[in-house]
Amino acid sequence: MEQAVLHKGNLKHWVDLVQGAFQVFVPSRVYGEIFFLPYAGQMEPDLLCGNAALPYLPPKDIVFPQSESLFSFTRNAGDVDLSVPERPSEKRVLLGIRSCDTVGLHWLDHFYLSNFRDFYYHDRRDHLTLVSVACTQPMKNCFCICCEGGPFLHPETTAFDLQLVDLEDRYLVECNSEKGKALIDLNRDLFSPPDPAILETRDQAEKKSHTRFLQEPTSYMSTAIRRITSNSVPPEVWTELGERCFDDGGCTFVCPCCSCFGVGYTAKGGTGCHYRFWDSCDYSGFTREVSGHNPRAEKGERFKRRFFHKLSYHYVKRDGRIGCVGCGRCITACPGEVGMPAVVERLRRG
Amino acid sequence: MFIRSDGKEAVGCLPMTLHPVSEGRLCHRGWNRFQNLRSFNRLSRPLFREGSNLKEVDWPEALQKSTEKISELLSRYGPRSIGVIGSPWLTNEDNYRIARFSRDTLGTGHLDGSYRFSGASALIALDRLFSGSFGSLGSIPAIGQSPTILVIGKESCRDFSPVGSRLIRAFLNGSTLILADPLCTRKEHFFNTLLPHPIQSLASVFKDKKSLPPEVSLRLFEPGLALIFLADQVDSASSLWSLLHSLLSQSPKENPLPLVLPLSRSPNLKGAWDMGMRPAQSGLTLHEMLAEGSEVRGLLIFGDDLHSHLLTSSGGVKFRNLEFVLAADRFMTNTARAAHCVLPIPLLAETEGTMTNSEGRVQLLRPFADPQGESRSVSRILHELSRRLGKEFPLLSEPEVRKEIGKSISPYSAAVSESDLEKVGGILLPAPTAQPTGELSEPAEQGLEDNRYRLLIKNTLYAWNRNQMIHESPVLSIEYPSERLAVRMNPLDAKELKLRIGERVRIRSERGETQTPVEVDDQLPPRALMLPSHFVEAVESLAGEATQDRMTRTVYFPNLSVSVEKI
Repeated sequence: MEQAVLHKGNLKHWVDLVQGAFQVFVPSRVYGEIFFLPYAGQMEPDLLCGNAALPYLPPKDIVFPQSESLFSFTRNAGDVDLSVPERPSEKRVLLGIRSCDTVGLHWLDHFYLSNFRDFYYHDRRDHLTLVSVACTQPMKNCFCICCEGGPFLHPETTAFDLQLVDLEDRYLVECNSEKGKALIDLNRDLFSPPDPAILETRDQAEKKSHTRFLQEPTSYMSTAIRRITSNSVPPEVWTELGERCFDDGGCTFVCPCCSCFGVGYTAKGGTGCHYRFWDSCDYSGFTREVSGHNPRAEKGERFKRRFFHKLSYHYVKRDGRIGCVGCGRCITACPGEVGMPAVVERLRRG
Repeated sequence: MFIRSDGKEAVGCLPMTLHPVSEGRLCHRGWNRFQNLRSFNRLSRPLFREGSNLKEVDWPEALQKSTEKISELLSRYGPRSIGVIGSPWLTNEDNYRIARFSRDTLGTGHLDGSYRFSGASALIALDRLFSGSFGSLGSIPAIGQSPTILVIGKESCRDFSPVGSRLIRAFLNGSTLILADPLCTRKEHFFNTLLPHPIQSLASVFKDKKSLPPEVSLRLFEPGLALIFLADQVDSASSLWSLLHSLLSQSPKENPLPLVLPLSRSPNLKGAWDMGMRPAQSGLTLHEMLAEGSEVRGLLIFGDDLHSHLLTSSGGVKFRNLEFVLAADRFMTNTARAAHCVLPIPLLAETEGTMTNSEGRVQLLRPFADPQGESRSVSRILHELSRRLGKEFPLLSEPEVRKEIGKSISPYSAAVSESDLEKVGGILLPAPTAQPTGELSEPAEQGLEDNRYRLLIKNTLYAWNRNQMIHESPVLSIEYPSERLAVRMNPLDAKELKLRIGERVRIRSERGETQTPVEVDDQLPPRALMLPSHFVEAVESLAGEATQDRMTRTVYFPNLSVSVEKI
C-alpha cells in the first residue's frame, strides 16, 4: 500500500485539480445538517478532520438513490417506446466519507454486484472513487469498533481507494487502489513520501483512536450473533422489542448497509415511468402477499427478521461480515430507542 | 424536513436531527413524503365542466366562467348562497387569505374547514375551554419529562414518531403511561395501564374512580400530566370538554394546566383553525351548508378532498345538487371529479408560507421546486377572482400576510419575527392565559346487555387511503391497503359465530340493520366490532340519523349496542 503525505495547505489545490477531472462531493452543512454536496470551491475543514462528523444520510444514496427511474414508456400509435435513463458519464469522487460508510458501500457492492450485477448500481459505483477520512474522535453514537466498521480502514479487510489520516497540519494519504493512485497522480508534487516518524505518529493516532472508541463499549455483538444464530432468543423478547418499533422505516433508510427496494410506477395518458425506491423490512406491507396473508404480520416477527439478517451467522458466512458497520444512525432514527446497541444489549440479557 | 433532489426531481427526504421536535425521527409517511412529488397524476391545467365532462381550458377562461357562475349566484340569491371551504392542507397565509376573500370579496359568513367532520370537535372544545384562541398547550419535547401521560387511542403514539419517541423516553425515565383505548386487546409493555374506555366515558370514569386502578387515580391528578389524543378521532366536542374538566376539577388548584396535545393526520389543522377557517357569526358550518334545504347553492373548496370526508348520504346528495362547485386542488380527487371548475394549485412542497403544528409551533415552509404544470397559487386565484368580481384583493407577499395575521390573530403576534421563523424549529406560540371555564356533563356509554356487541363507528386510519399522499406513494399505498367494506371482529367472536373471513353477517341495532362481510382482527377485544365511518350507507342503515353535536354544529355516529348473526 502506497503512503504519502499531503499538507493541509495543499488540500484545496489538490481538490481543485481533482475537480477538473471528476465531480467531487464534499461534506457540507445545510441548516447545520451535513450532506455530501458537489464541491464548489469551499470545504469545511472540521468535516474533514479526525472527528467522526457523519452526515445523517449515508452516502449510499449517491450509488443507490432513495428513488430512481428504471425506465419510462410512451405509447405511440399502437407501439410503446421504452427508454432507460442515461448512464452516468461523469466520474465522481466522494471526499470525506467515513470508514463506516466506506465499509457500508462495500457491503452494498456485495449485494448489488456479486450474484447479479445491478447495472443501475454498477454504473454509478464504477464511476465512484472513495477518499475516506479515518476517525480519531468518536461522536456520541459511534460503535464502529464493535462491528469492524472503523475507525481506521485496513487493506486486508476493506478495498478502499484512498484513506486520509488526520495528523494535525497534514494528512497521511494511504492508497489502496488504482482509482486512488489516479488521484495522487494528478499532481505528485503535492505529495511527499512519509518519514518513519510520521508513520509512527500515524500508528499512535490509530491506537489512541481505538482507546477513545472503546471508552464506552456499547455493544456485545458476539453474544447477539450467537443467540440469534442459535435461535435462543425467547419469542417474548422479540415481542417486547417489536412493540418499541414504530414501523417508520427510518433505521433502514439511514443504514449504510440496508439495500432493500420496492418498485412502483406512475403513468398518465400513455406516458409513465417505473421506478424503484427504498423499502423497509419494518413495514407490514414488505412481506404481505397478494392474498392478504402476511408471514410476518406481527411486528416482533419483522423485528426478528431484520436482526436475523443483520447479525445471524448464516449471513456472516454468506456476506463475509455482519450487516452493521456501527455508524449509530439507527440510534438517532429510532423513536422507540431500539437501535442496534440497545437491541444487542437486550439480546445479551436474554 | 429536507426534500432531496437529483437536480430534476424529488428523490427522497430526510428529517432534521437538529429540529427540536423531530430530532431526526419521522413516521413512515414522513420518510416517504416525497413520493407524491413524482406523480404523473397531478392536475396541470384548469378544467371546466361541459355537460358530463371536465374539459381543459386556459386560466382566463376558467376564471371568467367561474366568476360568471359566482356572480350569478350572488345576484340571484345573495352572498349567503355561497360557502367557502379552506383546508388543513394549505398554509396559514392561504387559509387567512381564503377567510378574507370569503368575508371581503363574497360577503358570506359561510366559511369552514374541510376538517369539520374530523378534527374540529377537539379544537372547538379546547377553544371554549380557554375562552378563545389557545396558542400552545405544551410542547412535544416536554412530554418526555411528564411524570404521567394519558394517551387516548394507541395510534396517537404509533403514527406520530416524534410523540412516540417522547413517550418511550418518559417510560425509560420512569414516568407512568396510561393508555385509554376500547379497541385494544393488549397494551404494549411501555404502558403501565390500559383503560378499555372510549373518550365519551372517560370523564365519568375519572369522576367515579371506582373502576380506576388505585395508582391511576393517584397519578392522574398530580401536576405535570400530559394528555395526548388524535383530534381527528374526537367525535363530539362535549366528550373532550368533559374529560378535560374532570381532570382539571379534581386536580389541586395550584397544579399547572396539563400538557394537551391534539394530534392530527393533517399537517396544518391548528393553523387553519387559528386563521379563522370557521363560520362567521351568522354563518353555517360545513355540515349545515350541506344539510337538506340549506341556502347554500355554491361551494368554493380549496386544497382538500371534501367529498371523501362526507359522513352522511344526504350531504352527498346536496353536494351533487349544488349549482356551482369550484375545487382548487393538486390531484384529481373525488371532489374535483364532481366539481364544475377545477383549478390546479401547488403542493405544499412547492409553496412558501407557514404552518402550525399540533403543539402550536409556527414553522416556515420553503418551496422545494417551482409549481408543476400551470398551477397557480391560491393567492393569485383569489386575486383574479376578486378583480373579475369588481373587488380589490391585494396580492400580498407571504411576509406581508404574516404581518396582517400578527395584528389580527392574538397568539400570532408572537410569530411575526421573520428572523425567528427562519430558525430551525420556528416559533412556539404562547400558552393561554385564560383559566378553563364552564362544565358540561356528558352521558357515559351504556353497559352491554348479554349477547350483544358494542359496535364502534370510527374514523379509522384506513381512511388515510383516501388521502392523495398515500395514493401517490407506492410504499404507503401498500401500507394502507384499499379499504373494503367489512365489519371487523375478534377471532374468538368469529369462532363462536362460526364465521370465516369474508362471510357475511347481519348486524342489528335498535335503529336499523345492515349486512356486511366480516374481517377478523385480533387487535380488537371480544364483543367489540368496528365499522369505519366512511362506509356511509352501511353506517346509516345501522345507526339511522347521525347524532348532532351542538357544540361543533356537526354530526357524528355514536357507538351502538348491536346483535350479530351469520347469514
